[in-house]
Amino acid sequence: MEKYEKLEKVGEGTYGKVYKAKDRSSGKLVALKKTRLEMDEEGIPPTALREVSLLQLLSQSLYVVRLLCVEHADSSSSSSLNSAATDSSSKSNLYLVFEYLDTDLKKFIDSHRKGVNPRPLPSTLIQSFLYQLCKGVAHCHSHGVLHRDLKPQNLLLDKDKGLLKIADLGLGRAFTVPLKSYTHEIVTLWYRAPEVLLGSTHYSPAVDIWSVGCIFAEMVRRQALFPGDSEFQQLLHIFRLLGTPTEKEWPGVTSLRDWHVYPLWEPQNLARAVPSLGPEGVDLLSSMLKYNPADRISAKAAMDHPYFDSLDKSQY
Amino acid sequence: MEFDLENPFTSFVVEEEQQKSDTILDLFVSESDHMPSQNFTTECLEEEMEDFHVSFRQEAVSLILQAQFSCNFEPFIPYLAVTYLDRFIFRQQIQIGKPWIVKLLVITCISLAAKMKNTHFPVSEFQREEGFMFDAQTIHRMELLILDALNWRMRSITPFSFLCFFISLFKLKDPPLTQALKDRAIDIIFKAHNEIKLIEFKPSIIAASALLLSSHELFPLQFSAFKASISSCEYVNKEKLLKCFDTMQEMVEMEEGFDSISMSSSTRTPVSVLDYKCSSKSSVNQRTTTTTAAAVMPPENRENKRRKTNGFCSENKFQVSRSQQCL
Repeated sequence: MEKYEKLEKVGEGTYGKVYKAKDRSSGKLVALKKTRLEMDEEGIPPTALREVSLLQLLSQSLYVVRLLCVEHADSSSSSSLNSAATDSSSKSNLYLVFEYLDTDLKKFIDSHRKGVNPRPLPSTLIQSFLYQLCKGVAHCHSHGVLHRDLKPQNLLLDKDKGLLKIADLGLGRAFTVPLKSYTHEIVTLWYRAPEVLLGSTHYSPAVDIWSVGCIFAEMVRRQALFPGDSEFQQLLHIFRLLGTPTEKEWPGVTSLRDWHVYPLWEPQNLARAVPSLGPEGVDLLSSMLKYNPADRISAKAAMDHPYFDSLDKSQY
Repeated sequence: MEFDLENPFTSFVVEEEQQKSDTILDLFVSESDHMPSQNFTTECLEEEMEDFHVSFRQEAVSLILQAQFSCNFEPFIPYLAVTYLDRFIFRQQIQIGKPWIVKLLVITCISLAAKMKNTHFPVSEFQREEGFMFDAQTIHRMELLILDALNWRMRSITPFSFLCFFISLFKLKDPPLTQALKDRAIDIIFKAHNEIKLIEFKPSIIAASALLLSSHELFPLQFSAFKASISSCEYVNKEKLLKCFDTMQEMVEMEEGFDSISMSSSTRTPVSVLDYKCSSKSSVNQRTTTTTAAAVMPPENRENKRRKTNGFCSENKFQVSRSQQCL
């Protein structure tokens, strides 16, 4: 790891700390994501092997943050080929080295909401970012990978080129770090799909589309669509806007693990939550926020939605 | 999450046609990343690899096939192991004069391939059988070394990944014939992996050539139509295709020549040392003068034996799943 000079900790991803660092030989900035790797008597865990190689593959898309390389470092300093270590399991660290981008969609939206010059995001920019997001998500889904934690903080921006890239792709079961308790930061629930909040064990690509819908609305509103602070509050936020889901529109909803009896809210007019968005945009948004995961639009289909008709798709 | 060589890019079955075509485009775009070397030709082989590398690879391949036999692996595991081996030895300087390196490298490549395929590899048992023993730590270090050299690109794109796509170009209507065509092509692809002259070709070219060769054998009347449809595919370099096809045909003919007639090796030059080694069943002293490989039995022979004795089960299962995917 001497190749890199750690500059600062820039965050805690779902799976470990993220550092901004400089490649000593090229001077380029990179993002180092540190992950603990539990080596047992079988060596590299097969799940880690399969998932990192999948990540390597996915990052070939322009709309996914590029994994430049993978570095490995032992946490115990004295281990070498010759050491007669009796301990067959050793802890070591895997550093995923990503390209570095200095801003993300959260910061970008924040800068348009507060600060010296608050102003809406240009509608063509929203359209372009959403298209790139759909394209990146479609890429992941076509490779059988769900992100499961899409949020503005995980969407990095290259402002000069106008590019949006998906980061922090979920490495599912490979790593020893539990999903929630690793960081003490609050895990955001704002972008979480209702089926996940209701304890559904079956995850489908639709969970990501829900998040995309929430992010879309947030770009338009410059504030979160469903800012809940607990799983229960999160559901109430959703139900108040979209109406309490019924068996009719979402068969099986009342048998989900965490379903309770909720107040019966009527659906509100979605367009009022996103006043500056045109009818086509509202239509796309509503198809991303369908209760029944099976009815929710796919990322691929979203790319062909009329909302994008005015976009020059050839440049993506 | 198990890695499927015919479908390297997905971990579930992709249903939408559009997504399928996106994936195939990705395959063509990225296949070069999974080759031993992108600008590799047999011409530079002589200079760069020299005899040492040829015999090194050959010994390694023999050992991998031996593991397939003794661990009763499905054939994709050794195949994958050889792809890792090739990429590693063409990128890394191998030290001459340390005969244990080949063994360590082989053990580790198999270990990684087995993990990708979610299959248990009984490392200690295999080592005991082969008469050597590396400790777990050494193997783990080697794993990391290989992963590093291959940049963790372990979802190899292989010729198998392109078979369904090329077969779809043929517009065949008879599922049993399609299956026969594919099965023979798969056979050829497995054989081609031992042929060092074919290393320079992209996986897609190997797949296309194997299918053409298979159709040449099975449906000679349709051969030219198949050839036309593959040649018209925008991702296929026609020149390379023809060159690859010729080399492959030579390889297969050579093999059958060796199989049917007891050839005197002076009349025909083997396509390569490796090919000679893999197909020859005669002339033991000839072999020892050409190579330094340690195999006791030619791999080809061993593979036949494996199929006869205990390969039926896994092979049948393997075919069923293939026909479901493709037809």
